[in-house]
Amino acid sequence: MKLSHAKAIFIWGTVLSSVIFLALTYDSQRSFSKRTHEEKLDEHVAAGKWVWQKYNCNDCHTILGIGGYYAPDVTKVMSYRDADWVRRFLKDPPAVWPAERKMPVLNLKDQEIEDVIAFLTWVNGIDTNNWPPKPLAVASAAAPNPGEEIFKTQGCSACHTVGGIGGKIGPDLTHVGSRRSKEWIEEQLINPKSHDPNSIMPSFAKLPEKDREELADYLSGLK
Amino acid sequence: MKYETQKIAYNYFLIATLLFGLQVVFGLITGAKYVWDHDPLINILPFNVSREIHINLLVVWLLFGFMGGTYYLVPEESETEIYSPGLANFQLVLFALIGVTAIVGYIFRWSWGMPFLEQPTILKIGIVIVALIFLFNILMTMLKTRKWTVIQGVLLGGLVMLALLFLFGIFFMKNLTEQYYYWWWVIHLWVEGAWELVTGAIMAFVLLKLTGVERELVEKWLYVETGLVLFTGIVGTGHHYYWIGTPHYWLWVGGIFSALEPLPILFMVIDTLRDVREKKIEIENKTAVYWAIGCAVMHFFGAGVWGFAHTLPQINKWTHGTQITASHGHFAFFGAYAMLNLTVIYFAVPRIKGVKLVRNGLSLMALRTMTFSMILIALSLAVAGIVQVYLQRVLGMDYLTVQGFMKLWYAVFWASAWGFAIGAFMYIVDFFRLSSTTSARAQQ
Repeated sequence: MKLSHAKAIFIWGTVLSSVIFLALTYDSQRSFSKRTHEEKLDEHVAAGKWVWQKYNCNDCHTILGIGGYYAPDVTKVMSYRDADWVRRFLKDPPAVWPAERKMPVLNLKDQEIEDVIAFLTWVNGIDTNNWPPKPLAVASAAAPNPGEEIFKTQGCSACHTVGGIGGKIGPDLTHVGSRRSKEWIEEQLINPKSHDPNSIMPSFAKLPEKDREELADYLSGLK
Repeated sequence: MKYETQKIAYNYFLIATLLFGLQVVFGLITGAKYVWDHDPLINILPFNVSREIHINLLVVWLLFGFMGGTYYLVPEESETEIYSPGLANFQLVLFALIGVTAIVGYIFRWSWGMPFLEQPTILKIGIVIVALIFLFNILMTMLKTRKWTVIQGVLLGGLVMLALLFLFGIFFMKNLTEQYYYWWWVIHLWVEGAWELVTGAIMAFVLLKLTGVERELVEKWLYVETGLVLFTGIVGTGHHYYWIGTPHYWLWVGGIFSALEPLPILFMVIDTLRDVREKKIEIENKTAVYWAIGCAVMHFFGAGVWGFAHTLPQINKWTHGTQITASHGHFAFFGAYAMLNLTVIYFAVPRIKGVKLVRNGLSLMALRTMTFSMILIALSLAVAGIVQVYLQRVLGMDYLTVQGFMKLWYAVFWASAWGFAIGAFMYIVDFFRLSSTTSARAQQ
């Protein structure tokens, strides 16, 4: 091979790849508006994105799968946590999720919290080509118990263990159904101090009655 | 060393070496947070701060090394002195000051908050000024004699590309998808584009000088390798556009092009080994040759093989955003760029200091220790990542619960990181020994 051939490989390889890349960039750029629902991208979302950057959340958490691997990915967090939970969590993370690996208390202003929730809600709507994938075990299992879903979205496993998985702050609930009735559990959810005045468990009276009932139904079935 | 101004490179290598040491220290601190969940430094130096310092130091020390390599190479290729040594030294001081300000700023929570590009905007403008001074000085030097060797051309192309792409990482965009789309123009097109051109040219120069093979052979391969790097790497950016809100066709385009990315790296290994085998002069500086061969091989495994392992969308769908990426990141940056810098340093510093380096025991010990430890780091993070993918992604277990199951592998990772730190320490000691060696002592 002559030097001129090698040079041609260099030049044409670069030009061809650049042309393809720029053409696809043009097309991708046009698709962002629809794929990311830009009509919903208001000033709160933009302010929330800046809060996300200002506190450098991205060097612990991944978003769209990019960033630090020290804390959970937040791309779809608003699908499995309600806004009220996120609000309480961001005010005082270790109190709401008392695990050994902690998120620091950032002393966020109320407006900053609202903005970051708006941002995460918007991110939740981005069409990510179905990423992250649905876990295979869940996808192949029967529809989950609605109470079990509430157990997850409310983050109960931060304090309670079920089947060996979860926190150790509160009692192990693996066999809670064999010692507590459904009514007892419902009462506990509304007013934890009714059974133990020293209980540190937060009240879940804010949950709709139906959700509380389903949660109690699920827990009382754990025998 | 033929030209007086090639000495400028030494101070760049010195700062690169110091920052490399600091990067390893912050790596150990960051890694410890995985091993012990309870973090006593949570309010002073939380994970995000120690990580941003760790990864920024990486980029900055590599850039210092590239700049040093360029200042050493260009006078010899252009057969003239550097246009302005004063500007070169000013650029060094300015860049170092910006680096220190950024790191101190991070500790006080002054951050722009996009990974690798955490530098606040005002500092980014400073970095652009540094790049412009650098480009100006190099271009003016080349224009003095207009000896457009292929090595110089590829190097200059890489440096211009590097500076231009940085501009895409400066602006705040409201749309996160769009922000990340252009963020990759800096991150990916630097490491799998511009940096490959710069380091490809530097490595070609080093091999040319060490082995005495024909220039035309070296330059022909340089064209082919960097041509293929750009051909596969530019559209290969698409392997970062699978899941960030970009159209579905990127799964095809990114998958196909990035799967070809290991090919030019394989050529580099063959090329390096052939140059050494078919050497035209007796190689005196065996230390630099060992580093060059180590670099080619580790580049291939770290960037090529480890990258290929999770670049196809069918696999990446499960591994994206897990410790698999961290495993690849450590392995690839070390093999492709850290080792390249150390190769150049072992090639250039003895020449600058007028020392005849033959076979340096401590340096080779550092080479073995760092390489072996880095392989263990990559393997332990890969196993941690496989555990994570299986439990979290396949079985759907909660993030923190899964982290508990990964503990053992984090411990192996951290122990290996200490091994790496010992190797890095040997290198740093050797660098200062080499800097202060007289010709007579080096002969022993």
